[in-house]
Amino acid sequence: MESTGHGLQRLITAREAGLIACTRCGQVHAGGAVRCKRCHGPLESRDLQSMQKVWAWLIAGIIAFIPANIYPMLITNTLVDHSESTIIGGAVELVSHHNYGIAAIVFVASIMIPVGKFIAIAYLAISVHRQQILKMHQRHKLYDVVEFIGRWSMIDVFVVAILSALVQLNAVATINPGVAAMSFALSVVFTMLSALAFDPRLIWDADRTA
Amino acid sequence: MSDENSQNNAADLDVRQSKPSIWRRLSFVWLVPILALIVSVTVAWQSFAGRGKEIEISFANASGIAAGETTIKYRDVDIGTVERVEFAPDLQEVLVYARIDQNVAPYLDDDTKFWVVRPQVGLRGVSGLDTVLSGVYIAGDWDQVAEVAQSRFVAVESAPLRMSDAPGTEITLRTNDGSALSAGAPVLHQGIEVGVLGQPILQQDGLTVLVDAFINSPYDRLVTSSTRFWDTAGFSVSLGTAGVSLNVGSLASLLEGGVAFDTVVSGGDPIGPNTKFDLFTDEETARSSLFNDAGRPKLNVAVLFDGSVSGLSVGSEVRFQGLRVGQVADLGAVVVDDPNQARVELRTVLAIEPGRLGLGEEATPEDALNLLADFVSQGMRARLVTGNILSGSLVVELVEVADAPPATLAVNATPYPVIPTTVSNITDVADQAQGVLNRINNLPIEEIMTSAIDLMDSANALVRSDGVMQTPEQVAGLLSDARGLIGSESIQAVPDQIAAVMEQAQKIMAQVTGVIDQIGTADLVGSVTRTVANVEEGTQNLGEITASAQALLDKVNALQVDALLAQATDALNAIEGVANNSDIAKVPVFLNQLLDEARTLIASGDVQALPSELRNVANSANQILTDLTAENVSGQLTNAIAAAASAAENLDAASQQLPAISEQLNTLSANAAQMDLESLAKSAENTLNSIDALVGTPSAQALPASLSSALDEVQLFLNDIREGGAVENVNAALLSANNAAQAIEEAANSLPELSRQTGELVTSTGQVLSTYGDRSRFNAETLSTLRDIQEAADAVSSLARAIQRNPSSLITGR
Repeated sequence: MESTGHGLQRLITAREAGLIACTRCGQVHAGGAVRCKRCHGPLESRDLQSMQKVWAWLIAGIIAFIPANIYPMLITNTLVDHSESTIIGGAVELVSHHNYGIAAIVFVASIMIPVGKFIAIAYLAISVHRQQILKMHQRHKLYDVVEFIGRWSMIDVFVVAILSALVQLNAVATINPGVAAMSFALSVVFTMLSALAFDPRLIWDADRTA
Repeated sequence: MSDENSQNNAADLDVRQSKPSIWRRLSFVWLVPILALIVSVTVAWQSFAGRGKEIEISFANASGIAAGETTIKYRDVDIGTVERVEFAPDLQEVLVYARIDQNVAPYLDDDTKFWVVRPQVGLRGVSGLDTVLSGVYIAGDWDQVAEVAQSRFVAVESAPLRMSDAPGTEITLRTNDGSALSAGAPVLHQGIEVGVLGQPILQQDGLTVLVDAFINSPYDRLVTSSTRFWDTAGFSVSLGTAGVSLNVGSLASLLEGGVAFDTVVSGGDPIGPNTKFDLFTDEETARSSLFNDAGRPKLNVAVLFDGSVSGLSVGSEVRFQGLRVGQVADLGAVVVDDPNQARVELRTVLAIEPGRLGLGEEATPEDALNLLADFVSQGMRARLVTGNILSGSLVVELVEVADAPPATLAVNATPYPVIPTTVSNITDVADQAQGVLNRINNLPIEEIMTSAIDLMDSANALVRSDGVMQTPEQVAGLLSDARGLIGSESIQAVPDQIAAVMEQAQKIMAQVTGVIDQIGTADLVGSVTRTVANVEEGTQNLGEITASAQALLDKVNALQVDALLAQATDALNAIEGVANNSDIAKVPVFLNQLLDEARTLIASGDVQALPSELRNVANSANQILTDLTAENVSGQLTNAIAAAASAAENLDAASQQLPAISEQLNTLSANAAQMDLESLAKSAENTLNSIDALVGTPSAQALPASLSSALDEVQLFLNDIREGGAVENVNAALLSANNAAQAIEEAANSLPELSRQTGELVTSTGQVLSTYGDRSRFNAETLSTLRDIQEAADAVSSLARAIQRNPSSLITGR
């Protein structure tokens, strides 16, 4: 096999060997098997609808992310004040109060990471179809990072949920989640689903076809 | 390769078989983003569609209004929120953009009003307290009829007087003084709050203040065209022409002010909205104006007074021929442009009520102006007169001045037509007091003094005048004539008659002798002896008499002989002046008549009857002696003789003191010799000359009439004597003579001491005379005194003349 520039010897994939591996239990079956003998899960050599799911969930996540930034995240009612703060507005307000650290955390966790996830997933999905700069291994690592970080993207939602549950002092002070909280949570969920829907084996195929 | 190809072909085959068509291959998961998109778009659309209608409200200032926070409320319900606050392009106002609930937006039409509700703490309570914590909000009010919706509004300054849903009537009050009016103050009727006042607004003319008032239903029916409003603010103490009046309203109105109204007379017409009423200063004025045309337009004219208008105030009466036709609406100073120099004139604006000028009910200010122009051309002028003397308040009076210089009503003057003025008639108490003082100041005191001096001079001259000097001259002439009378034949004849009487007495004595012989040595001697004893007792009293005489002499010594002599000199001079008076000469004529009268008197039977009377007396005496004879006269006589002897001894002792007396007399003579006898002699000579002249004048005839009457009196007296107990009186007189003789005898005993006292007196007199000898000083003082008296008399004379010429000058000044 020609070198792909990695200096590694080219390996044949299970698909090339006419085998199908169960993605859940790892049982390898013959090419024609439809269902796993061990765990009775469905067997697919390649998820042919993977890319559709990725893109669909990604678009849904992006759509949900828009109101998450436009609408208020927190609705704070105190005796004398009624404030609605969006994500960006909260970060800017923290900066104006010179709390740069917290502002950076909020900004990174609520803006940079979701947006980064969008970009990473979109990149991975695109990279399946055409020759990419990043090596196959790096793209796998990127996929692992995206999948790992997805569960931590709900920090904002957790904060809002905790505050809303704790600060319910009737007239004195009340914090309620805004529309953005739900939107943000949906956005995170959609993004995670998008990452999960991505079949990393397509990365191999893309490299091989290239 | 073939193997490889076959494998590849097999794989490709599988793949191709697994995606037969694009729709079969399309995953259902695509529903998720589509759903999310639909939801998002729906939410966005709903958000956009439900955000309400944007309106623009322009404020003068946006105090307290914050974008995104300030809410807009209608009946205390949020209907929108301010979105942004901007400036108008010219920065003249603040534009507030707000979203209004779509349900409400159609009702925002022409009658919509917006205002800012702020916390207010006032006397009538606290309002907008919720805005203290939440911040201000914008309140709106509109009716319940949706008309053409508007999107641009201009906010009002404060909450409108009436809400769209509040039944009632809105009126407008017109006043000149808005100091006691405040927005929110109550409108009272019979003490009950039935309405509320709006914000007083000063009109463009600078005089009138308009304030809207809202009368709640159903009380608005009480307001008719006959209703009068008055100010109940605070309390007022007015010192007017009617006296002092004190008005106190309720405590709330005392602090916040307010207006009250009442309709006293019936028959008023119902009012429409925004009817204008005059606001009177107090209830009395309001009630008294019920019959006035208060609601009618007034004519404003200006008067430029030259002097001070102190005492004139806004509201002062304007009188036309004594009747009130208006009041002072404004007082102020205006700078008048003069080509030479700028002047300040005091402009008083009068508000004339045309109806009061007699023009009828429907008169307009133009009619009144024309009438006033006519009056001015006929001589009517404005002037200040005193309304109340105590308070000094003034009123403006329009009077017709008979001889006024021609003038016209400056109809085209700005801002008001100007009525010409005339001299004011101000009777100020202070001014009058000042005037009195000024008059006193102006009194010719100096000239009065001069006149007084002149009067004194005149009096002096009067005293020295011939007329006054007549009287003493007449007296002197009288004395002279008396002397002539005494020397007259009739009087001379009296002694002869007395001699005859004496002959009768001699005969009586002879008879007495006979009687004595008859009585012999009867008890007569004893009587005489007792008599002498009495004399002796009397002699013993001489000591006391001598002491009295001594005290008398001491007093004489202490006398102001100088003054006495001065007076004597004055008297002599006066006598001299009198004697020089030619009128004295008239005296002798009268004296002649007097003497004739006296002669007639002496020749009268009464006088002739005197000797016979004496004879009767003698007979009586004779009878008395006869009676005496019957008593123990001899013994008494003996005692009398003894007493006489004792008296003789006393006389002898007294005679021994005579040499001392002689010496003192000599001293007296010497002193007298040193006296300025020449002047005395001259005075006496002058006196005698004057008397001579007097006697020679016919004016002395004035006296005899008086003397004649005096003699008549004497005659009457003699008649009385004749008729009364004259004999008893004569007896008493003889007894007194006897007592006198005894007193003389006793006095003789004290002659030595008397002589000594006389010596001292003579010595003192001598010293006085020597002092008088210093004639220069004495005369100088006397003359200067006389000159002073003369000047004083002249002054008094002048004063008298001055007063006689112009008696009122003493009060009015010259």
